[in-house]
Amino acid sequence: MPHSQEGEPPPSPLWPAKGYLNASLCVVLATVAGRMVAPFSDNTTVTLLYLLAVLVSAASWGRGPSLFASCLGVLALDFFFVPPVLSFAVDDPKDLTTLAIFLLVGIVTGTIATRLRGEAEKTRQREKRTLALYSLSQQMASQTDLNEIAGLFAQTLAEATGGRVSILMPDRGGLVLREVATHPHGGTSLNDKERAVVQWVLEHGRPAGRGTEILRHASELVFPAKAGTKTIAALIIDLNVKNETLPSEQQQLFEAFANLAAVAIIRTRLAKEAQQVQWLAESEKLHRALLNSISHDLRTPLASVMGAVTGLLEEGGPCNEETTRAFLEMIKEGALRMNRFVANLLDMARLESDTLRLKAEWCDIQDIVGVTLRDMRDTLGERRVAIDIPSDLPFVKADFALLEHVLINLLENAVKYSPPGKEISLAARSTGTELLVTVADQGQPIPKDERQHVFEKFYRLQYSGGTAGTGLGLSICKGIIEAHGGLIWVDPSSQPGNRFTFSLPVLEQPFVQAEKEEEESHGR
Amino acid sequence: MAADHVRILIVDDENQIRRVLAVSLASQGYVVDEAASGQEGLSRAAACQPDLTVLDLGLPDIDGIEVLRRLREWTQTPVIILSVREDEGDKVKALDAGADDYVTKPFAMGELLARIRVALRRKTGEGDEPILSFGELTLDLGRRLAAFRGERLKLSVTEYEILKCLAVHKGKVVTHGQLLRTIRGPLYQDDTHYLRVYIAQLRRKIEEDPNHPRYIITEPGVGYRLTTEG
Repeated sequence: MPHSQEGEPPPSPLWPAKGYLNASLCVVLATVAGRMVAPFSDNTTVTLLYLLAVLVSAASWGRGPSLFASCLGVLALDFFFVPPVLSFAVDDPKDLTTLAIFLLVGIVTGTIATRLRGEAEKTRQREKRTLALYSLSQQMASQTDLNEIAGLFAQTLAEATGGRVSILMPDRGGLVLREVATHPHGGTSLNDKERAVVQWVLEHGRPAGRGTEILRHASELVFPAKAGTKTIAALIIDLNVKNETLPSEQQQLFEAFANLAAVAIIRTRLAKEAQQVQWLAESEKLHRALLNSISHDLRTPLASVMGAVTGLLEEGGPCNEETTRAFLEMIKEGALRMNRFVANLLDMARLESDTLRLKAEWCDIQDIVGVTLRDMRDTLGERRVAIDIPSDLPFVKADFALLEHVLINLLENAVKYSPPGKEISLAARSTGTELLVTVADQGQPIPKDERQHVFEKFYRLQYSGGTAGTGLGLSICKGIIEAHGGLIWVDPSSQPGNRFTFSLPVLEQPFVQAEKEEEESHGR
Repeated sequence: MAADHVRILIVDDENQIRRVLAVSLASQGYVVDEAASGQEGLSRAAACQPDLTVLDLGLPDIDGIEVLRRLREWTQTPVIILSVREDEGDKVKALDAGADDYVTKPFAMGELLARIRVALRRKTGEGDEPILSFGELTLDLGRRLAAFRGERLKLSVTEYEILKCLAVHKGKVVTHGQLLRTIRGPLYQDDTHYLRVYIAQLRRKIEEDPNHPRYIITEPGVGYRLTTEG
């Protein structure tokens, strides 16, 4: 640990004379006690009492007061106890030796006790700073934002040192200094001289400025934050101390802080880079999946269209009206599917690029259902859809067209993944705070551990087998519903099958004045 | 067929679309003109005076909306927009600029033909009829009465006004703004919730199944139309 030259802790800054006064008081007390015990003992006991006073003074108020107590003690001992009493004269030369030894012991004891006290004080301070460092490192571990880390850092260091702290980082090739954090009580707008000091520190990786050997006439201390051999930031510390060389203990403290800062800064940089790499890999993966999906999902309906068209154009052509019709239906179905697919791709692109802006207006869910069913006439065909929507449902603030896309995707899935003759049901309910819309089919139930995943992009069920799909529809539904502040989930329905439910928040309803109906609607 | 000698101008830069439209329209007995750009469309419109124009918005030279505006400077002939733009804002803009209808690509030919018929009928039958009929729904504008299946409907003032506004446009889509301006005045043209309430009430009175409306059709984000087709 540090080799400290100054053994003495700073005296109480408020009133330095207080220590001396207290020391005198101790000597007075020792005298009184001595007078009381004198009749029952010899002067040795009294001498020990004075020594006690010196010790207390040393431990409590430092070297000065303890020396003062020693001297005062010798005088008091001489005056009150050494014969002739009440006189500074000494009869017996032996007593003179006693007094001299007392003074020596007093001085030595005082010095040792004072040093011990200093060590204890320093240990306490060190502990405090270590604690500050520790809690800082803890807090930093949970932070990922560079500015927040730097801010936290500047504040903690300022509290630990009682000064003002700012952190500067070289930006983009080291040409620009960026102030990333300042202690709230004072920003540093750097002047040219300070800028030069900072630049020097960044280049040389050694502390400079006030309190150091280098550039000592600068008004602030500048400390490097180093990771390995590289200096990545500079700490400007404005201390309330005289212009003298900084004690090495404090230097070490700053160094510890600065290194911690460097590690934290490097960590955020690495984290950011790692994130970028991961994001790239992810987007690469998505890209591939998307291409696969596009080629598959466009080609399948395209194949049926091509097949039907070439069948129609074939020489001799289809033999009867019925076959012609069947071919034409195939073409229409293929085209519809391609159209849906393109719509989903567009939705996904909008959701992905964060350009999705909800055109929120008050919507009547029954109205949305009506439009959806109308637009899906061809897809639904003969399929029975049981609708259960009470007429007194609250309105929701939502994007009409996007909610229609959600319903289309859910209904289309229901058609695709359940046997042709089985009924699909669509119901809406209000809980007061939420509107719940449910689309239930009677298809093969989704296994429990896959239920979460069906809303992930490009996720296809293990058993989906031959059914064509992109794994886009449900992820788009999730994106749209979440953009509305709602949730979407799937659970098994009572008749074996799947029940997809989404919720939308119900807000305070807009006011519309009720009107009375007029029996005779003319008259005005 | 009544379509004889009715001229339709197709303005679209896609050759394939023009061909499909030309063949289909010709087979319905319409006389078809074609233009592949906005400029050409404007000059063809001036030269051959079509009874109806089918206009694409994404033209190579001038934006379709601008073509529509220039057309509207001198003629009220019906214009049906046929575009891939799905954005409701574009639809409303086109309708406000004077388009009679809006069909998005890809489209069903039957749907487009129906819209063309509605627009042409509106054009020829512009004489004010006091009684309008939509399937089993009848409106007597003179006496301010509405009846469904021969029975008089009990309507509030606003309900009647909405129904009337939709009815006089005969199958044409009426935007939220237009409807609200008519029934509430220009200050309230953003209060779409107001419309939702009254449309829901109206549907309960005239639709057999409000989940499958047959008369009042919602055009998402745009408005409503009153129709009996489809």
